[in-house]
Amino acid sequence: MKKAILPLFFLAIAGFAANAQKVYATKNGQIKFNASSPIEKIEAVNNQVDSKFVDKTGQIVFSALIKSFKFENQLMEDHFNENYLESSKIPKAEFRGFISNIASVDFTKDGKYPVTVEGTLNLHGVQQKVSTSGSLEIVGGKPMIVGVFKVKIKDYGITGLYIGDKIASEAEISVNCKYE
Amino acid sequence: MKRKIVVGALTLIGFLAAGVWYYVFVYSKTHHRNVADEQGLIVPAGQIVKDYETDEARANKKYLNKAVEIEGFILKKDKDQAGNTTITLRSGDPMANIFCTLKPGEANKLHGTQMVIKGICTGYLSDVVLNEAVVLKSE
Repeated sequence: MKKAILPLFFLAIAGFAANAQKVYATKNGQIKFNASSPIEKIEAVNNQVDSKFVDKTGQIVFSALIKSFKFENQLMEDHFNENYLESSKIPKAEFRGFISNIASVDFTKDGKYPVTVEGTLNLHGVQQKVSTSGSLEIVGGKPMIVGVFKVKIKDYGITGLYIGDKIASEAEISVNCKYE
Repeated sequence: MKRKIVVGALTLIGFLAAGVWYYVFVYSKTHHRNVADEQGLIVPAGQIVKDYETDEARANKKYLNKAVEIEGFILKKDKDQAGNTTITLRSGDPMANIFCTLKPGEANKLHGTQMVIKGICTGYLSDVVLNEAVVLKSE
């Protein structure tokens, strides 16, 4: 009788492991912001991006603090925070959504998989739907997500003196996150 | 006489324009905010995390964009994707700690597990986040 139970027990564990979903996370992901115009280079990088995703459902979240964006020029950084994104009032930006084709990614096999991410970006306190394509790369069993998308600055209620002149009307957001 | 005034005014405008240009494009690139020169707000590791968990908006008023000085025990040391050293200080709360990115060169000052660091508080995600931190004491 005991002998019959043991294999069942192992089978149950194996079944549980196969169904278990894994949450991949990072606290030091990278997001670059680029709103350069022909007149002015406006670039910033944030290396403190918090992100999590679930391998089975494709559910994904990115959170970034506006004050963690660093510019080469301090004055530009101050203007970005005070005049444009008003980071004292709205300190955070967040994206919540899904990797819609997560099923096509084989997490056990190293390689680069094209992915589509859809969801809602909350920037400057304004929510907008965002959809973009990027890649999910598995290196040594660890995933890395890379993607670039554009946001129209006006869509997020960001107004300022120089928009459309010194600052591009569309900003490019590049995401690069390595997960554990 | 009139000509002198005009020349004088033009020279003054020229100097002012040069000054503005220098401030915007040269000085602001080479002179960054340095937390080491600022008086830090001293707060225990557990307290800042508790303040953020209780009322984030209120905690932001108190800490956001300010230099804060925290004493605590190191939980984890890591590197971010740009190669900066990051450390996590224990708050005593299992849900949230203090995540700090150190300024370049500061990692050499890390010796023991207990330390005092000073950094600019940029807000609260999974942890309370500090940026551009310097190590004041480590043993």
